Amino acid sequence: MTTRMTLSREHSAMRSALVAMAILLAGWLAGGARLDAQANIGSQGFGYPPGQLSARAYASGGAVAEMDPWSPVNPASVGMLGTRLLVFQIEPEFRTVQSAGGTDRTTTARDPLVFGAMPVGQGWVVSVGASTLLDRSAATEFQTMQRTGADSVGVSTTFRVNGAINDLRLAAAWTPQSWLRVGVGAHALTGRNLVSVLESFSDSTAFANLNLQRNLSFSGAAVSAGAQLFTKTVLAAVSVRHGGSMHVSAGDTVISSANAPDRLGVSLAYTGIANSAIAVRTSHENWSSLGGLGSAGFRAVDAWDTSVGGELAGPRLGAHPLMLRAGARRRTLPFQAEGRQVDEKSIMGGLGTFWAAGHVLTDLAVIRASRDASLPASEKAWTISIGISIRQ
Amino acid sequence: MSPQARRWPRVLRTLHKRAVLPLFALTIGAVAGCSEKLQGGKSCPLLCPEESLQLRDTILDAVVFDTTVMGLPSIGNESWLLLASHGDTLDTRVIVRFDTLPQTYKFGGIDSTIVRVDSAYLRAVIARDTLHPPTAPVTVELYDIDTTAAGTDTVAAALLPFFQPERRIGSKTFAPESLKDTVRFSISNAIVLDRVTKGTPLRVGLRLVSAKSAELAIQSTTTGTGMTLVFRGSLDTTATPVTVTPLSHTPLNQSFLSGPLADYVIVAKGGAPTSPALLAVGGVPSRRTYLRFDVPPSIVDSSTVVRASLLVTQRPTPIDRTDSITVYPVAVVAAPIVTDIFTALQFLAAPGGFGLGQFRTTPGDSGLKAIDIVSLVRTWRGATAVLNPRVLALRSGQEWQSGAEIDFFSTRAAAPLRPRLRITYVPPTSYGLP
Repeated sequence: MTTRMTLSREHSAMRSALVAMAILLAGWLAGGARLDAQANIGSQGFGYPPGQLSARAYASGGAVAEMDPWSPVNPASVGMLGTRLLVFQIEPEFRTVQSAGGTDRTTTARDPLVFGAMPVGQGWVVSVGASTLLDRSAATEFQTMQRTGADSVGVSTTFRVNGAINDLRLAAAWTPQSWLRVGVGAHALTGRNLVSVLESFSDSTAFANLNLQRNLSFSGAAVSAGAQLFTKTVLAAVSVRHGGSMHVSAGDTVISSANAPDRLGVSLAYTGIANSAIAVRTSHENWSSLGGLGSAGFRAVDAWDTSVGGELAGPRLGAHPLMLRAGARRRTLPFQAEGRQVDEKSIMGGLGTFWAAGHVLTDLAVIRASRDASLPASEKAWTISIGISIRQ
Repeated sequence: MSPQARRWPRVLRTLHKRAVLPLFALTIGAVAGCSEKLQGGKSCPLLCPEESLQLRDTILDAVVFDTTVMGLPSIGNESWLLLASHGDTLDTRVIVRFDTLPQTYKFGGIDSTIVRVDSAYLRAVIARDTLHPPTAPVTVELYDIDTTAAGTDTVAAALLPFFQPERRIGSKTFAPESLKDTVRFSISNAIVLDRVTKGTPLRVGLRLVSAKSAELAIQSTTTGTGMTLVFRGSLDTTATPVTVTPLSHTPLNQSFLSGPLADYVIVAKGGAPTSPALLAVGGVPSRRTYLRFDVPPSIVDSSTVVRASLLVTQRPTPIDRTDSITVYPVAVVAAPIVTDIFTALQFLAAPGGFGLGQFRTTPGDSGLKAIDIVSLVRTWRGATAVLNPRVLALRSGQEWQSGAEIDFFSTRAAAPLRPRLRITYVPPTSYGLP
């Protein structure tokens, strides 16, 4: 038994080493400048998808996303908001990437969600907001040697990308029956990636630093629709987003076009316990439609996002009810790392309460995520999500 | 419910009242205040190909015009007055003018007419070269240059005949180790008194004599007070010494020209013009070099230049062969309308300006040299050659301070020896798309 485990471990280590060697060899053979990649597993391609989840939904693993009015996922859920509301969210991620080369610890500051909602007329609620679809903020620094004629020079390259593709949504929800809520949304996918390349040379007397900047602007559109069905103990929700065309431009030149990804999501929640919900959700997003947006050979992969979680009414703190939440999530990230699919598993927990006679709602989520691409590198991250809502 | 269980709500309430709200505010503050730190890279090349932008390197015959101009800084504008004695190779003299001498002196706070002169000398600040002190004693001889002839009083041929023994008005020999920051050259009291009482100019010529090659650089009025004439107007040693600074009145009524001529250098031997096949920097008279370039727009405008080196082939020169000389590549800041090269070379950016560095060599050195000018070449980007002429000047960091000259082959030399421009650049590239 012990021998078999040892052999298995050795086999695994050998396979990892072979994979690393194959990747190095492929990179060396490929040649040519390809300054684009981020030195982590989760933010490859056009970046990391935070998920468009509110802190409340995030703390529940994302399982309640289709029925959570704070998450800009299902436009029908906006109809749950009975008063005017403003929401904003901060969500720093503390990421650790380990590889044979060492450990990188990074902090990414995100403000992934802001929106407002307002009831209009009988049974109607409209909302407008912005959320982060893909966050590409990253910086990579590495040293190389470059030949210049007969001699060579050491080059220190810093490749930095700041920016994201954001989803601006105008949504309207209608509650025609006490057991039914429907909604539609119009999305503008906008944003930019400010890409900068700084190269400094070991021979600083002869060489001058190189500092290039390029602003990649994104534009695209999508529409979404959703519905929620209620019984006394069950809440079912479904939403769909259909992507229109999407473009990347540099200056006034469109450099690539593709389609914004379609998405289909379903949640089912048990609400038989007072002020509590236990939910499961799955969604499928066809990120592969973004493939044409990158350079030749770039591809994105369709991904499932499945989660389970719930929120329970916890102890009261004075006049304030405390909501306790927990969940687990598993999903595939849209952009591969060195040609390998990236899977993310995460567990999370959190709590929420309100202040000021219910006018201020606060939610806190703490997420531990692990991302894996079957490469000899691992990525783990802590994310803290804090949402604050102010309602009339 | 047990007593312990009943205690919990009370504990929570207390905790909430006293700590929860500040704790929550503190958490939000701490999280919101997290500074972003994105830098990574240890997982490269596994997760990111370590590929820099591709550098291209080319050597161009980009110098379309080059020439050397002799006598810059012009006469009277020398920052240092070089007294040099290199046998038959180089011999320079220094002229200092005291065209106005006071006729009174202070004694006990009262002005008195000068009827005697005592302890007259010239005080000079010298550039102390501790690395290359004279190897033999040096003698500085002073001569009475008794001429104010208009038009010829700065011409070497007209002035050199005054350096005769019968006109010697002072002489002092210095041991090499005695040459500190300031030196004194004794001068004839009788000559000073004669010019004071007659109210005529005192013009002094200095000559360096040594058994071996030697140089002495004296601070000029361009950069300091220059040499000063000091004497006492009385035999009484308590009388306040009279100090006279250099002053020139000729050319008459042209203060712009006469002012700088308070002190200057003339060349007795050496100073041959530079061969057309050469470009010279430094030397005596001091030389500057002018180069004009023609670089393809595809490189200078459309690409990003990361290195630009002027490749020149050095030819050895005999004076101060082992002295280290600084050659400054400098930008010419004269407007394009200035087409006269001599004039344009008087309008140079300060050494080190435009991010340009320096290049050090010795006159005895030879072979291919690279002078880095990338920061200047980058200023040519996007500007037409009419607005921003693609020109460069080379000048010595020891102009008129050393007789050393650095020579390079020009565009009129044999093809392999001509100056060229080596450029390393990044061609236009698209990047940033994954």
